Amino acid sequence: MSEQSSVKLNPLNQLVIKIAESQDRVAFKELFESVSPKLKSYAMQCGSSAHEAEELIQECFITVWRKAHTFNPNAASAITWLYTIVRNKRIDLLRKTKNKEFVISDDLWPEPETGCLENDVESDLNQNIARTLLHGLSQEQRQIVYKVYFEGKSHSEIASDLGEPLGTIKSRLRLAMKKLDSLAKENITWLIIILVTTY
Amino acid sequence: MANYHPSNDLLIEFSAGKLPNALGIMVASHIENCAECQKKTNIFASIGGELINDIHQTDVNEALFGNILSQLDKDPEIIIPRPSYKGIPRPLSRFMSGPLENIKWRGYARSLKEYNLPISDNQYNAKLYKISAGKKLPEHTHKGNEYTLVLSGKFSDNAGCYDIGDFIATDNAITHQPKAWTNSDCICFAIVDAPLTMTGTFGKLLNPFIR
Ligand SMILES: [Zn+2]
Repeated sequence: MSEQSSVKLNPLNQLVIKIAESQDRVAFKELFESVSPKLKSYAMQCGSSAHEAEELIQECFITVWRKAHTFNPNAASAITWLYTIVRNKRIDLLRKTKNKEFVISDDLWPEPETGCLENDVESDLNQNIARTLLHGLSQEQRQIVYKVYFEGKSHSEIASDLGEPLGTIKSRLRLAMKKLDSLAKENITWLIIILVTTY
Repeated sequence: MANYHPSNDLLIEFSAGKLPNALGIMVASHIENCAECQKKTNIFASIGGELINDIHQTDVNEALFGNILSQLDKDPEIIIPRPSYKGIPRPLSRFMSGPLENIKWRGYARSLKEYNLPISDNQYNAKLYKISAGKKLPEHTHKGNEYTLVLSGKFSDNAGCYDIGDFIATDNAITHQPKAWTNSDCICFAIVDAPLTMTGTFGKLLNPFIR
């Protein structure tokens, strides 16, 4: 019950639902204003110029408008949904401009065949796991995760970026995961295990 | 349900959108039929969402929202529907011209046939392989990494037995000798690290499995 209502109360979720239900341009603008400055940072972190970043935002919001009806708050929170849109559009724009890559984002994440949405995966749970995980990290540790996601850096590249030995990078994450392990035993134990073995 | 999965490293890179290449297609092909990896990548996507949530803000040009509004009523680009072929994972389907049984295999050896996939680049070389039922390939080691996804049949080597959907990563430390199971041919989607300098050697032409 409380989980249901928290999914509904999430302000970004509400905005996307309003756009889907009534083509609400006020909600659309509000969503744009709260998220586009972050999407711009993301794109620039991934290597886009300011101009390319805005082109990417434009493509994303056109997609948000058209695909808002496919947003399922039980499957993913709005911020994760937006993340997947910007991630995918970035791949497709890169492909267009470089004109040599062949893979489009729809190859990697094909639209569901039947049009039926994944049934209630635990979106809230996932978001909580992700949040707990990230917020439990020190600034240094978080920087590493950030580099993997936004800059596509390998662990050794991260080490040389930060001017630290690879072993230090690995052990920083391992320590972070240990700390988290005591924070939330049940739900994220497996995540801790995999991250510890990964880094 | 698959028993062999992509490493968490790969799943994270995939979820971060950093594998828009043949390896990404293979990971996606595995995930399509693997609930376990779907679950993981959902969480890894949520981490992406959280990172976006926490990122600093960069000022956006004031005219941008207006530009977006002016384009909302334009007709969307027409999307060519994705073909669907029996036995081919959907992420791979756009790069195939038909179902598995219609592939025009090439190769000199009776036990091993191959088909080049049009998704090779200067990093990865992507092919389909068919090992005939009950046949064993010569023992070999790899230069670089090799990734294999079983599409049909089964095969085994000294490290294990692999069934449809299994994702196997081997590196250059491993010597192996794949053998298809006796009752059916085994078809695999395979990717090797392919720096430009290594492609097209005579040896490779003779036996694509020996690198
Ligand atoms: Zn899996």
